[in-house]
Amino acid sequence: MLVRFWGTRGSLPVAQKADAIRSKIARALVAAGGRNFADDAEAAAFAEASLDFATYGAYGGATSCVEIEGADDAYFVCDMGSGLREFGIDAFRRCAAGHPRTYHIFLSHLHWDHIMGFPFFGPAFDPGATIVIHSGHPDAEQALRRQQEEISFPVPFDWLRAKISFEVHGMAEPFEVAGVTVTLIRQHHSHDSYGYHLARDGRSVIYSTDSEHKVDNMDAEAAFEAFFAAADLVICDTMYSLGDSVSLKQDWGHSSNVVAVDLCHAAGAKRLALFHHEPTYTDADIQRMHAETVRYEELVREERPPLQVLCAYDGLEVTI
Amino acid sequence: MEWQLERDAGRLVGRPRGRVDETTWEAFSAALTAAVREAAAAGGLLLVVDFSGLDYMSSRGLRALTMAKREAGDAVKITLAAPNARMREILAISRYDKLFDVIDAVGPAA
Repeated sequence: MLVRFWGTRGSLPVAQKADAIRSKIARALVAAGGRNFADDAEAAAFAEASLDFATYGAYGGATSCVEIEGADDAYFVCDMGSGLREFGIDAFRRCAAGHPRTYHIFLSHLHWDHIMGFPFFGPAFDPGATIVIHSGHPDAEQALRRQQEEISFPVPFDWLRAKISFEVHGMAEPFEVAGVTVTLIRQHHSHDSYGYHLARDGRSVIYSTDSEHKVDNMDAEAAFEAFFAAADLVICDTMYSLGDSVSLKQDWGHSSNVVAVDLCHAAGAKRLALFHHEPTYTDADIQRMHAETVRYEELVREERPPLQVLCAYDGLEVTI
Repeated sequence: MEWQLERDAGRLVGRPRGRVDETTWEAFSAALTAAVREAAAAGGLLLVVDFSGLDYMSSRGLRALTMAKREAGDAVKITLAAPNARMREILAISRYDKLFDVIDAVGPAA
């Protein structure tokens, strides 16, 4: 399987402003120290080798959208945040090269930042496309239709040309979709959210975002440790510091980097991808949070095998 | 995880030893909550948690501190003392050093 991140930001799309770009360029020029580069490729190689990610790159600002390659003749996508627009454009490119036009979309929940990409999802206008929207929420269709009512958007849902259907799933049994075994878990979030366990050929990916692990209900975490068990990759809501998540941002429905590491350790997961980044964070803030999370994992690892801690960014690809 | 509670002039000093993780946090939380209640019953004593014997604490232990703080309300102040270098890093990464007063040593009672 290959996991491709199209949107990694939480709550609200964000964009770099001129001063942020200027600051990156200034740091790069200082680091280059007067070097001459033969061409853009040589300069890019220097940047990647010599600069930190927050300087030579960017974490991106699109909201939650993650593609998992590896299903039989279909696209697999978790959530329809603003990153869905770019996924749709790229899917057209791949469809032109022969990829089947079937899309299985798995919704964590129906909050705006997780569905706002759908009105701009090009394949929804493709009469040859089949889109199946999987959800734990029986009101998923209502949520998508509502955001395309005239008061919010000029194109009503019924004008979409693709064959669109909705499947509501319970949590009792895993189910098969295009060769992938899918299991849901209910998560603590306003109006509930659902985490997904996607498994195939002995490999597994967990998508667990917008999930608060309550300080006064830590016993509930045993279910998540079991759900994450031995996963090859856990994509986890790490929006806040633990301190914020138990104080100012308590009951906001999100978790922390520190709790994510502890859950993955207890589960014996192999890799953790930090996800659903706080929209007010700069690239430097996210990079610092990533470094701190790597360090925390080292501090509490003990005899466990190392947990690799990745920081998701728009465009990151992870092979499972 | 071991726990000792001592009372000296005007304060309680709780001394956890070992590590607080997913296997020991409940014992730590129970001892801490009991100490908070004892401090409150005694008229609102300061509760110092002496971290000098603590190897480290994962998020379970940190969140037990939060539960104790909620139990304490305005009646009891909780101060964390003498964390080792590892624990000091964990307090900083988790931002718990913003939620609790952290002092370098338990020191003598006032």
